[in-house]
Amino acid sequence: MKINDLKEIAKKYRGEMFEKFLLTKQGHPGSIYSIIEIVVALYHGGFVRFNEKDNRFTDKVLISKGHATSALYPILRDFGVISKEQWINWGTKKSPLRIFGNTSIPGIDITSGSLGHCIGAGAGMALHYKKNKIDKKVFVIISEGELYEGSTWEGLLFAKHNKLANLKIIIDINNLIILGTTDECLKLNPIEDKIKGLGIKTKTIDGHDIDQVTNTLYEFQTIDDVSCILANTTKGKGASIMEDKKHWHYWNPMDEEQIKITREDLKK
Amino acid sequence: MFQRDVFIDQIINSLEKDKSIYFLSADFGSPSLDVLREKFSNNFIHCGISEQAMLDVATGLALENNKVFCYAMAPFLSLRAIEQIKCGPGLMNLPICLISVGIGLGYADAGPTHYANEDFACLNSIVGNSIYTPSDNNTTKLIANSFLKKPHFSYVRLDRHQQPDLNPEIKTNEFEEGFKVYGEFNKEKNIIISHGKIFHNCLKIQNNHQENIVAINLFRSKPFPKKLISLLKDSKKILVVDEQTPGGNLGSNVFENLSKNNIFPKIKIRSLNEAYVFENGGRDYLLKNYGLSDDEILSDVKNL
Repeated sequence: MKINDLKEIAKKYRGEMFEKFLLTKQGHPGSIYSIIEIVVALYHGGFVRFNEKDNRFTDKVLISKGHATSALYPILRDFGVISKEQWINWGTKKSPLRIFGNTSIPGIDITSGSLGHCIGAGAGMALHYKKNKIDKKVFVIISEGELYEGSTWEGLLFAKHNKLANLKIIIDINNLIILGTTDECLKLNPIEDKIKGLGIKTKTIDGHDIDQVTNTLYEFQTIDDVSCILANTTKGKGASIMEDKKHWHYWNPMDEEQIKITREDLKK
Repeated sequence: MFQRDVFIDQIINSLEKDKSIYFLSADFGSPSLDVLREKFSNNFIHCGISEQAMLDVATGLALENNKVFCYAMAPFLSLRAIEQIKCGPGLMNLPICLISVGIGLGYADAGPTHYANEDFACLNSIVGNSIYTPSDNNTTKLIANSFLKKPHFSYVRLDRHQQPDLNPEIKTNEFEEGFKVYGEFNKEKNIIISHGKIFHNCLKIQNNHQENIVAINLFRSKPFPKKLISLLKDSKKILVVDEQTPGGNLGSNVFENLSKNNIFPKIKIRSLNEAYVFENGGRDYLLKNYGLSDDEILSDVKNL
């Protein structure tokens, strides 16, 4: 798929997700909008392989920042993994879709929500594939806030030790956690030095630049060890009212004017 | 032979033909594990001294339809990794078996960091698991083979030390019941319910007072045996003995399950005191001085 097409899909998904936020009056728009280009590139860019015959993905995607798992729902709909009705009914009891993803939802590979679990879980899957020579990859998307969790570092050590080339980690770095910036609250930087210090191949990119995302995913396909993309992003990307605002981690009520502005923003 | 070696030997036997088994250790060993590592290196995974990562890795492996064993010292496996236990095998109902070694004061005189006196309460609160506490090697073997035959989320509480054989032993066809009665059951008798090492102390008391006391080895406390509920329907006096702290131990478990079924005998709980134990003197000395002396158990059961 062409880069411009991917950009259009990302724009479309932001708009669709916004309508769902308005409907459900809950969710995590800031965190979802920061990874839209990443998930669009992964799935529509063909890095996550789709088996049409089985109507399921060959490769795994674990959204460790489980509050943003719903960013996958429009993708799953467009691949036909969930039905249009399930998407339309999201927000009612009729649909299996939830704010946080879980394995009862077709196409969701792990139940997540509590932070810091998925590098370890992804490493377990990847090690099983490696030991049994199964051609599958595992993509794990974590937020930089998960670097506060000790289990994340335990998982990274494990993945590096086992040279899991089929494990691709993407860290969404939007610099914000619930109470403020990571630099203010408890400094994480320099993140790249810390990950590199484990001997893990890293590359820092603009996580909203689909060119950069797809090129780096392509480049990292051939690395024979675990790898990590550090994606600089903006919380709430695309919606001026939300961008880089910590309180837009969660949904906030909007008046008609704000809704109008945001709808216009998301068409740009 | 230690319970852990008995358990691992069953896994080794299964690995001969079942390669979907993974054995994970958080840097905890045993002679039988040395054999497993040597013979089935592809199925052994060292997770470092990282119980949380071990559970996360196990979750990933189990999501790929493998049978997974996680092996570590009881206090660290149970409490340090409890959220991973909830979110992995708990929420996703995965075939992971947690082998927790050194329950109670098993690591005397290492001190309270190494005692697992709260693990039962913690794991009993997790949804969907089975909890086993064997008192001898034969029961340990049956538990291992039960998981291998029918893998499901399980928490197995093994003693650090070798325990005497139960006499009579729990037979294969009795295993599914989850408990075994020692002595002739009579609803008028006082009943002691226990598990693990401390059950042997209870059994000794029962042997000396067979006319008045019956002892029940509750080796599977969760799910609570249905047949035991029926058996205790008209019972009058029960003492529950557990090598755990007072909050949420086996006594709570027995009460909860009986009360749910509108069965309200007089229940007393004898456990370790509400204390962190720093004193030395060996396990039996500590049991005697921190709430679980034979005299106290006998006095409780006599005076129910």
